[in-house]
Amino acid sequence: MNNQLKKSMAIGLVALSVWNCKTSDPEPTPFGDGVYVINQGAFLKNNGSLSYISRTGSTVATNIFVQANPTLAVSGGSGQGGNVQDYTEVNGKGLILVDNGTVGQDKVEVVEAGTFMSRATLKAPDIENPRLVIQAGPNKAYVSCWDVSGDYSAGTFYKDPGYIAVVDLNTGTVSKKIPAVKGVERMVLVGSEVFVGSNAYSGDKTLLVIDANTDTMKEKINFGATPEPIALDANGKLWIRAGKDMVRINPQSRLVEQRLTFASSLGTIAIGADKRAFYYTLGGRTSQFSIEATTATGTQVLNRSFSGALGIDPKTKQLYGSVIPTYDQAGYVIRYQPDGSLIDSVKVEIAPSGFFFR
Amino acid sequence: MHKLFYPFIVKKQTLRWWVLGLFSGFISSQDNCVAQADSSGQAKKSSIVSLSAVTVRAIAPERFLVGQKIQHIDSVTLRQFQFGSLIDLLSLNTPIAIKNYGPGQLATVAFRGTSANHTAVLWNGININQPNLGLTDFSTLPVAGFDQLALQYGSSASVVGSGAVGGSILLGSNADWQRKFSVILGQQFASFHNNQTQAGVRYATALGQNWKLSGKTFAYRNKFNNRYPYTERQRYFLEPSTTAQRGFVQDLYFLHKSGKQFSVNAWLSDNDLIITPLDTIARERTRTQSARLLATYEVNRLTVRLGWIRDLLDYGKGNFDTPSHTETERLISRAEREFTLASTPSRQLNLRVGGEWSHYRTRTDGYGGQLIQEDREDIYALMRFQTARWLLSANIRQAFVTRFNPPITPSFGAEYQFIQRNHFTLTAKGSISRNYRVPTLNERYWIELGDPNLKPESGVNMEIGLAAKATVSDNLALTTELTAYHNRVDNWTYWNPAKAYHVENLQLVVARGLEFNTGLNYTQNRWQTGIRLGYAYTRSSQERVYDNYAQDVVGKQLPYVPIHTGTANAWLQRGKTRLSVQAQANSRRYSTADNSQFLKGNTLVNLLLEHSTKLGPVPVRVQGNLNNLFNALVVGVKQNALPGRNGSINLIVNFSSVN
Repeated sequence: MNNQLKKSMAIGLVALSVWNCKTSDPEPTPFGDGVYVINQGAFLKNNGSLSYISRTGSTVATNIFVQANPTLAVSGGSGQGGNVQDYTEVNGKGLILVDNGTVGQDKVEVVEAGTFMSRATLKAPDIENPRLVIQAGPNKAYVSCWDVSGDYSAGTFYKDPGYIAVVDLNTGTVSKKIPAVKGVERMVLVGSEVFVGSNAYSGDKTLLVIDANTDTMKEKINFGATPEPIALDANGKLWIRAGKDMVRINPQSRLVEQRLTFASSLGTIAIGADKRAFYYTLGGRTSQFSIEATTATGTQVLNRSFSGALGIDPKTKQLYGSVIPTYDQAGYVIRYQPDGSLIDSVKVEIAPSGFFFR
Repeated sequence: MHKLFYPFIVKKQTLRWWVLGLFSGFISSQDNCVAQADSSGQAKKSSIVSLSAVTVRAIAPERFLVGQKIQHIDSVTLRQFQFGSLIDLLSLNTPIAIKNYGPGQLATVAFRGTSANHTAVLWNGININQPNLGLTDFSTLPVAGFDQLALQYGSSASVVGSGAVGGSILLGSNADWQRKFSVILGQQFASFHNNQTQAGVRYATALGQNWKLSGKTFAYRNKFNNRYPYTERQRYFLEPSTTAQRGFVQDLYFLHKSGKQFSVNAWLSDNDLIITPLDTIARERTRTQSARLLATYEVNRLTVRLGWIRDLLDYGKGNFDTPSHTETERLISRAEREFTLASTPSRQLNLRVGGEWSHYRTRTDGYGGQLIQEDREDIYALMRFQTARWLLSANIRQAFVTRFNPPITPSFGAEYQFIQRNHFTLTAKGSISRNYRVPTLNERYWIELGDPNLKPESGVNMEIGLAAKATVSDNLALTTELTAYHNRVDNWTYWNPAKAYHVENLQLVVARGLEFNTGLNYTQNRWQTGIRLGYAYTRSSQERVYDNYAQDVVGKQLPYVPIHTGTANAWLQRGKTRLSVQAQANSRRYSTADNSQFLKGNTLVNLLLEHSTKLGPVPVRVQGNLNNLFNALVVGVKQNALPGRNGSINLIVNFSSVN
């Protein structure tokens, strides 16, 4: 130890004078065809990030926003400035939803898709507690926002109502805030309508329909339980999680066609590549059910579940699951072939909680 | 060195009886010993009557920690930080790792690669760490609240008790018998609409024939509005916050001419932090109110203390009327007796035996709202032996905590003066000690997540060092010290995320490192100049694989503990004008346990210009502070920017009548 200490001390003394001169100049990385991992980061540490995994190998590029924009992370950390909630792309632009633990510090970073070069930053009060983002038109994105949240025990955590920020990607600005529902979260675009639900803990039972042409509220449907719109299937039917139920509705007639009641509320859910099945975790297993199913009896795919997210790559049909060991160390993405055989396990960043396949 | 320690583990039981025996022996043979000590005390006193009775006070507890590093912060530095927070003082003068959530927000310190709750904070000898959290929020302790500051590096469980694993911070009050009456008034005007006001008096007077009184009454109020002229620095947001601090200090010392002394110390403090105050829904308020009262009676080297500490913690979000409330009280009593077993010009042997009993009462929403009580008892024996060249100590302590069984904690230390010349001394030091930490109340009583059956953390600390003092000429003096340490803490508690954050005795942390500091002073006529440099290498890592994913954490540097830290303080003084440069630098701080993320290293430089003058008969000191001279960007734990360059003007009036 002594030698090591002496050496370190000498190095340390030198380092005293030079460590601030250290700079890193990562080369611009193309983040083209591949899978983005949304790393939420740890609560209060505001250290979320996005990683990039290529489809052809196990290489991972971490913290790609900072890699692409090194000048924006002058002081280390993830440089993203908050917990990353979601990511999507609209017409060549990427939107990163960044939720900071402090009010007034949330952001949506608009980047150039593929290169991740920063193009615009949307801030408070336009953006406050951003949750999820979808494409809502040729050059338009909807960002669901809880708005300022207060004390959970006092019932002021979810502001009533939350709102949807309409992002105009031509100008890189929020053009409108559409009042939505309390705890507004998941949205699915069906034709020119957006079906909007809310967080299961919000207690709001309204399924909101928004006209995506006019960005106005069209209809409010009382759903009986808190609706969380998941995806549109191959038959054009909308699936909604409502407590323990997976509900299939006809988006035109708004009528419920099928209701599958599981033992408990499904964990993370992903739609299959052909949109004919849903994959989900329940009771320590990963299973799937067909969109034609009439009973809630899934078929087991893997004898394990994932503490992070689940995703099916639409291009390769491979299954992606993520593990969050703790919020104080990097998590892993584990990949499987469609038949359930293991491909590999790659280390990503803090709390991998979502995938974006491009 | 582990082998050296081994017999003591084997003979733990025997040792325990030895301590108990020693303690009971102390009680039964007390009369005898008092007589002994009386005579030696008397002998000493007679030679130093003029210096009052200060020297018959018992030996400061840290002096039993022979072989360990102690750093006394000088009064000049304390005066420079009269309007500063303890955090600023420590970061610019010590290698302690600081974890800072933002201006006015939670700030904790860690010695030598341990964590915040391995730092004992003592105020006049009693531990004032908030018992629920087991740590002190240093943002709530302004330097103005105490008169003396010292840092005890390394574990000192045998002397201090639970929690002194990485080191201890010793805050103290002192009596001033010299001045009859003095008034101190201070006002700070700082950037961001921040201001501070201090006012106090010190007094000393005779009370009849036999008694003297010395006292201090002091109050402060600090208002940090933090109105930054910018909301971001290089894309890093600043977090809006305000802090209002108030404090009241009352010290009274009654000294009898026989040497016995009765004293009362009180420190009331109130810290009110509001984050994002302008947003009425999301604003968060943390209010910390502490009352610390201590009565001490010292006679013939018998010291009896009775203390009472109450900590209130209120947290509210949005609506501040119904905060979540934590209330914790401690009643502390301690009796200790010191014996001079041998006292000749060539050798001095002192023994101190003592016992402590504390009663804890806590009530918090997090424990289900019911009152939780526990008792803690400690007995200890401290021995110190001094010859012309040798200084040795052997100490032992056993604590008893309700539903708990802390380990027995011995410590041994030695110092040897290799070279003793008029102009040069070189001392070698070494010590080994066992340490422990009783888990915090939160760790044991928090609903569901806490575990009442946790084991205490326990560790072994070893250190060796060399200290040199050289007087090169009448004008030039040099001091330097080099210390290497190794501290191994097992059963380190961990709120295990893999088990829904239930707390467990999971980890094994090994901290090792080097500390080097040196000071050079030069005086010539009206000129004085000096420099103090400090460097620390700290390597601290978790070493146990307790689950699959712990592989990624093993051997990695503990978060927020920089491997390299350096401090530099240089000053130049002519007459009553002094210019100081204070600098602090640290290498990167990892922000995750697997070291996958980090905050970059940084350097902070402050400038301080002081001038003392007189306005008529009134002495006035003016300080001009320029903080973060180079406008460095430093981010806190939440990845918010700390403020850029800022300044303050301080005015201090210190009017005294000397008797």
